[in-house]
Formats: sequence, structure tokens, C-alpha cells
Amino acid sequence: MLNRKKIQDLMNEPGCATNQAKSEKERKKGCGKQLTPGAAAGGCAFDGAKIALQPITDVVHLVHGPIACEGNSWDTRHVGTSGPELYRRGFTTDLSNLDIVNGGEKKLYKAIKQAIAKHNPPAVFVYQTCVTALIGDDIAAVCRAATQRLGTPVIPVEAPGFVGSKNLGNRLAGEALIDYVIGTREPDDAGPTDINILGEYNVAGEMAIVKVLLERLGIRLRTAITGDARYNDVAAAHTARANMVVCSQALVTLARKMKERWGIPYFEGSFYGISDTSEALRAIASMLIERGAAPELMERTEALIAEEEAKTWAAMEPYRARLSGKRVLLYTGGVKSWSVIHALQEMGMEVVGSSVRKSTEADKQKALERLGGDEDKLVDSIAPRDMYAMFKEGRADIMLSGGRSQFVALKAKTPWLDINQERHHQYAGYQGMVTLVQQMDQALSNPIWEQVRRPAPWDIEE
Amino acid sequence: MPQSADKVKDHISLFKEPEYLELFAAKKAQFECRPTDEAVAAQAEYTKTWEYREKNFSREIATINPAKACQPLGAVFAAAGFEGSLPYVHGSQGCVAYFRSHLARHYKEAVPIVADSMTEDAAVFGGLNNIVEGLANAYKLYSPKMIVVSTTCMAEVIGDDLSAFIATAKEKESVPLDFPVPFAHTPSFVGSHTTGYDNQMKGILNYFWDREAQLTAKPGTKINIIPGFDGYSVANNREIKRYMAEMGVEATLLGDVSDVFDTPSDGEYRMYDGGTTLDDARDAINAKATIALQEFCSQKTLEYVETKGQQTASFNYPMGIGATDAFLMKVSELTGKAIPASIEKERGRLVDAITDSQAWLHGKKFAVFGDPDFCLSMAAFLMEMGAEPTHVLCTNGGKEWEEKAKALLASSPFGANGQVWAGKDLWHLRSLLFTEPTDFIIGSSYGKYLEKDTGIPLIRLTFPIFDRHHHHRFASFGYQGALRVLVEILDRVFEAADAASDISYDLTR
Repeated sequence: MLNRKKIQDLMNEPGCATNQAKSEKERKKGCGKQLTPGAAAGGCAFDGAKIALQPITDVVHLVHGPIACEGNSWDTRHVGTSGPELYRRGFTTDLSNLDIVNGGEKKLYKAIKQAIAKHNPPAVFVYQTCVTALIGDDIAAVCRAATQRLGTPVIPVEAPGFVGSKNLGNRLAGEALIDYVIGTREPDDAGPTDINILGEYNVAGEMAIVKVLLERLGIRLRTAITGDARYNDVAAAHTARANMVVCSQALVTLARKMKERWGIPYFEGSFYGISDTSEALRAIASMLIERGAAPELMERTEALIAEEEAKTWAAMEPYRARLSGKRVLLYTGGVKSWSVIHALQEMGMEVVGSSVRKSTEADKQKALERLGGDEDKLVDSIAPRDMYAMFKEGRADIMLSGGRSQFVALKAKTPWLDINQERHHQYAGYQGMVTLVQQMDQALSNPIWEQVRRPAPWDIEE
Repeated sequence: MPQSADKVKDHISLFKEPEYLELFAAKKAQFECRPTDEAVAAQAEYTKTWEYREKNFSREIATINPAKACQPLGAVFAAAGFEGSLPYVHGSQGCVAYFRSHLARHYKEAVPIVADSMTEDAAVFGGLNNIVEGLANAYKLYSPKMIVVSTTCMAEVIGDDLSAFIATAKEKESVPLDFPVPFAHTPSFVGSHTTGYDNQMKGILNYFWDREAQLTAKPGTKINIIPGFDGYSVANNREIKRYMAEMGVEATLLGDVSDVFDTPSDGEYRMYDGGTTLDDARDAINAKATIALQEFCSQKTLEYVETKGQQTASFNYPMGIGATDAFLMKVSELTGKAIPASIEKERGRLVDAITDSQAWLHGKKFAVFGDPDFCLSMAAFLMEMGAEPTHVLCTNGGKEWEEKAKALLASSPFGANGQVWAGKDLWHLRSLLFTEPTDFIIGSSYGKYLEKDTGIPLIRLTFPIFDRHHHHRFASFGYQGALRVLVEILDRVFEAADAASDISYDLTR
């Protein structure tokens, strides 16, 4: 079972710059935001664990709990696959009254057995939920027994909803991987240019863009953790020569532990924005060279960067005139913002604000430089009421954000572009930036905004 | 035998049985004398080229797959919208069977229309006897409150004079002298069903206002509304009446088919149900103004109404934001009644819905075909949402319509690449769709062949809709109607996105 210590350890991450910058006292409090009863909140730890692991495409994801935990989290993140579809199925033990009185362990075991018999997956992930944790079902023991008797790895994910935030759930998912999965398989094809990308979930299938870039450099992506991943690749992730951490708040602990255990160096980077993409490619190349890859990799990397950057700026050029002078508010969550700020400014747009909720100190510094040192433009979060006022007063022409703040913009008659996980376009890599600019242009030029801003024609004073 | 009493196959699967496949193959090989499959395929490919398109557009005589119907269809539609009214067609009964099936297939309702079944001798000696007998029989058999006479080509070619014939029939006591028998000459070889609607509506008003008795207008505060030929009339007329009630406007819908083509199943057959009362039609002369919802269905009628001293206004099918705005504001201006907050709220909800979905519609290309007024408002609504009406095709659109449509497209950047095709048919549209394809087609059920041929999804939004049920029971007029039209379009957009998706087969869109 989970203990407090494990959670505290997770919340005191030495690999996290934010955490290291804190005073001893603050660090003790941990980094999880305290939830405020009565205030609207985001997802729970279960949800965090589920979304972090569900992109593994070829395994059974079995939720041990009442129906709605699976029902509500079933395939809601648009994470793509290039092959297996098994991850899209909703498996659950669907506990009812009597199960809760008598305990659900037997039912769980039967469910595991049935799922293996029917689908023969390389592994089963079993998710703990609030109810089964409360009644004391020991899923770790059931999983151990099932692994031994059935011969298929069955991995317990101990992140019941009540232990904390969604972010904690992400981290607990990382723990499950390091405790049960990574390092359990020795591949016969480990090479000098293998890498992993951590915290990349293949939203809208955008890993395809990244993969093509890497392949052109002869770099093999062993696995993303966990976008479009196969179980056996994740199990062999410890043979990669370098790790790139994309969503650092979610899986930096995993990266640190992989470094400690197998000596895999890691860096934090992003594929959003032109300069960030180039930086990421350079960092991957130099890390691989340090670990023994041929030095000419860097020359090829620079050549690719030069070619792609030129192509991208050229492709974006037609939009410059249309976007120039438009004011944009970035409210981005996971997507690193400074590099996107840079690209938007190059398009002649004015960035009137940017959230740095999930950015590191270094990122914040870079973003601040880009924004001309104006601290007011850097915000942790904006209360919906203030955001609404901002649009009402016409201080921004468009907002890029996730679905949660969408309606604040829309009700304040301001165009909005989805750049979070419910988006349908790929914004990663060089090509993605062109798509972003195109989509922004469309959102801004749609005639409905004119309609939205005008009162009903009979209310206009002549 | 592929067919057995234990398991009867329907035609969808029956003809895929080996016996039939063999039979078809043998027939093809031995009797059809057709060119090779390769030659057929090559010719089919050729019909998709620009070269073929040019040949197709230089076609002068033949019309292939027209998107229009003939005058009497519009005439019987207009006639059906009055209380106890029996549409009566002077001419061949075959034509009338077409009108009845056309309307019945669309509305899924019984459509009573009678014909006086002219035969060879009538064609030689004139159709007077048919009218005399026909009116007498119809009056006795079906007890209508009014019989509205229109004509088919046959009667028009031989030059039957309805006015004189009906007068003679009344003298011969086919129907009582004071029994209303309005009429209109509606030859199929002139105009289309929209012209026929106009002629018949004018004929009915003319009967009540001038022929039955010489009425003098005493202008009041009411207004008249003429809906025009509209496949969504059942719900659209009710929506218009709801708007008028909300605004507190006293209005008479002239030719209100909303209950006529939507009778309940409660054990009673209603040959006549609802419709504008004859007294309301008489009193309509005293209205302050008459508004036509479809300009190209009402031009002659409005000219006639103006001679009675009324103000008139006409619209092009009030669907979409701007079109509904214009209609309501005109009503408000004419009646002095304000547009209430409840309607303003509906408007806001529509705008809100469009903002939610605009990204999915922006820049999508549409081909639109249908009646003149529908084409105009559909194109306008598409542009309001950021979509592009690439081809706007109207078989029964003339010069005036063409100019109006061009001006409309020129009014928005989203119409910049749009082309207007007046007087062209669906075979022309096929060439257009192969050479300059769009993302979607908007039109009637007849577009389904284009859909199958070109693979471009069809959105059914105008008369006739034979192969989908009950669309006419939900309004397309007004803000609520626009919302429904938006949803229909979006459904197809999302279906297309899902169908094309492998990696992005998403739960949420």
C-alpha cells in the first residue's frame, strides 16, 4: 500500500529546479498544491496516473473500481496509435454493492485472467481507485499472484483518487514504471543513438512529426513514455543512451531515477516552437555524442536545423501581414511558452501575457527576456474573472489555451484556439508551428467574431 | 434458388446471389452489345475532365437532371394551404399523380389533389366538359370549402380558358354560384414550381378580393406573410407564427400548409386540416403590409397586392443570422412592435453555438443547389460561419437571380472564390464537382447521385427530401432553425472527419 513517505519523496524532487529553489521549510510542505474544498479543481491522482500510462497501446488497462472511474476516463485524451488499438478499450471490474462488502480482490483476479485469456496482451496495468483502496483491496498482492500464476506481467498502479492531485498521479505512474516495467527486458538491438522521450503522450498523433525529424538524423526513438508506446519497448527503455523530458513536472522523477540506476543522462526540452525544436535536437545530438555516438551527428543536426528553420519561416511568411499587430494571450499549461512567444513575435504579433504555471525558472527567465522584462505579462494563473475582464476591455485579440478556459474567451467574444490535449492539430516540431499560425489566422478571421461583437442590429443606436 | 419462403431476401442482398450475378454477366456478354469494361471506364474518367466540362457547358438543348419542378406543383402547394381547400388540376391525371407522389414522398402524408382527367377527345374538342363534370364530382365527393384550379400543359396547349369554363360550370350548377373557385393558368413549359406558386397565390387573392366581390381595402394594423414554396413549411410556418406571437404582431400566413401536411394519427382521417381560413384570406386585403418570405416565389403576387395600396417587402428565405435579423426588423418597423428579449436571447445562443464550432467550418467549401431563395440564404449563412459557397447553382434561377447571387458573394471575402450558375442543371454540377471539387454538397435528395459519383458528402437541406424522414418537421427559419441547419452541417463535417481518421479517431471533437 501507499505510504506517506513515498508521496513525500515524490513531492521533494531533487531533480526539480523549482523545488531546489525553495527554503527548507517550504520544501517540507511538498509541491502539491493544497486542494481547496468547495473550489473548482482539476483531475485526481487516478486520472493523472491513467493519462500518463494509457498511451501504452498494446496492453490492457484495467480499472479496479466502480464503473465511472473507467467510464469517465475512457479514451478522452486523443492520444494516437500507429498500431495496436487495445489501449482504447475500457476494462473495469465494475464493482457493485456486494463486492464492496465482500472485497473485490477475487473479482479483480478473475478479470485479469479473463482479459489475458481473451486478448493475450504483453502486460496488464491494474489501476487502484478510491473505493478499492478504502475497502483495503491489496492490488499489489493480487497482481503479484496473477503474474506468477498466469505468466503475464501484471502491474499495479497505486494511485487512488484521494491521495492527491492529478500531477501526483502522473508521478505515481512513473513510479509504477520504474518499480515494475523499465529494465525487465534486454533488447537485442540496443544501439548508440537510442533515446527515450519522457512525458510525451502523442496527443493528436503529433509524435509522427518528431519521429520523422529524429529518423532523418539516424536517431532511434526507443520509446516515448508513454506516447504510442509498446510494452516491450518501455521494458527496454533502460538501454537508451539519453532521455529527453518534455513535460518535466510529470516525469522528472522518473528521469532522475533512470539516471541513478542506469546512468542515462537527461535534459528538459520541448518540441513546441521553432527555436525550442532546434535546441532539443542539438541537445539530443550532443548528449548522444558524449555517450559515444559519432561526432559527425552534430554536423548533420545543424544542417537539418538550418534547412527546416528556413523552410518553416518561409511557410509562415504569408501569414505575417495578416497576423501582424494582433495581440495574443498564451495560457498554455504544459506547453513551454518562451519559444512559442519567440515565433509569434517574429510574426509581428504582440504577446500580451503568458502563463508560466508549469515552466522551470530558466524557462521563466527566457520568457521574461522575450517579453522585454515586463513581469506583469508573466502570470502563474489568471482568475477567470480577470481573464474575462481582460477580453472585455479588448486587451487581447486571441487566446491560445486548453479547453478549460475556452468559454471564458468565447463568452467574452474573443477568438480562442485549443492548444491543449483536446486539440485536433499537430503543433509539435517545425511543421507544427506553421499549423499553429494557420489555425490562429483562421480563428482570427472567422466572420462570426464580427457578429459576436456587434449587438443585435435592432439594438444599434442610429 | 436464392429465394426461399423460409428466408426471404430483400433486393439489397438478393441480387448479390450467385444465380443473379451469373445472369447479369451472361446478359452483359451476350445481349448488351456494350463496349469493353476498359472503354466504359475510360469514358467515365473522361467525363471528369475539364475538356468534358467545356463540352458539357456548351450544351444548349438538353437539360440533364434538372433541379426544379413544374408550375402546377407549386400551384397545388399554394392551393393546399387554405381551409377546406381542394387543389384541382385541369388536364391530364398523370401529371397530378406526379404532384401527389412528390409531395407525399417528401411530407409522408396523404396529399389530396384531384384532376379532371382530360383524354384524347378533350384534347380535340376542348376541356369544358371535363371542368363541368369535374367540379361537380369533386364538390359532391369531397365536400371542400373551396376548389382551386390550375392547369397542366395539355390544357394550356389547346388554349382552354379557365375563367370562361368555370363560369359556365357554375351556370350549369356544377357548384353553387357563390362557391369559391379561384384559378390560375400554370403551364409547365413556362418557369418552374416557384412561378406556379406565385401565379396560384395571386389567383386566390384575386378571387377573394376582386372576383367574389369588389372589396375595398380598409388598411388596419395586421400584416400578411406569404411563405413561398418551402419543403420545411410544416415547421417553418409554425416558427414564423411563434415569432409573431412573441412580438405581439397580428399576422395572417397566406397559404399555411403547416397543419395540412402534418396531420396526427388518432383514428380520424382529415382530408382537410388547418390552413388559412377563407375569411382571413378575404380580410387580408385590409392588412397594413404583405411580406413575402421568398422573393422569387411571390413577385407577381406582391405586384398585385401593391395595387391594393399595401406596403410590401420580400426576403430570400430567412435562414441564418443576417437573414433573420432583416426579417424581424422589417416586421418590427412595419408594426411598431419591438423585438422582445426572448428572441434576442435566441439570437445570442445561435451566435454562441457558431463560435463553439467555427473552427470546423472555417474555409470548408460547399456546393449549394436548390430554389432561388434557398440558394441565396444558404450561401449567405455559410459565409456568416466562415465557410465558402464555391458553387451556387440554381436551375430555375434567371438573370435577376444571377445578379443578386453574384452581389451576395462579392459582399464577403468568403465568397471571393464562389461561382454562380444560373439555369444550370445537376449534370453541369457533376462536371463542376469533378473539376473544381468542394468539401460538401448542400441540396435535395437528388444530390445523392452526385454524392455517390464524386464521393463528396451530401447535406440534405431543401425540397425534395425523399430518402430521409421527418426533416421537414424541424424548422430551418429563424435563429432556432439556423441552429438546426448548423447542426446538420456539423454532423456531416464530423462524420467526414471520423471516416477519414485512423490515428485521430477521437472521442471528443
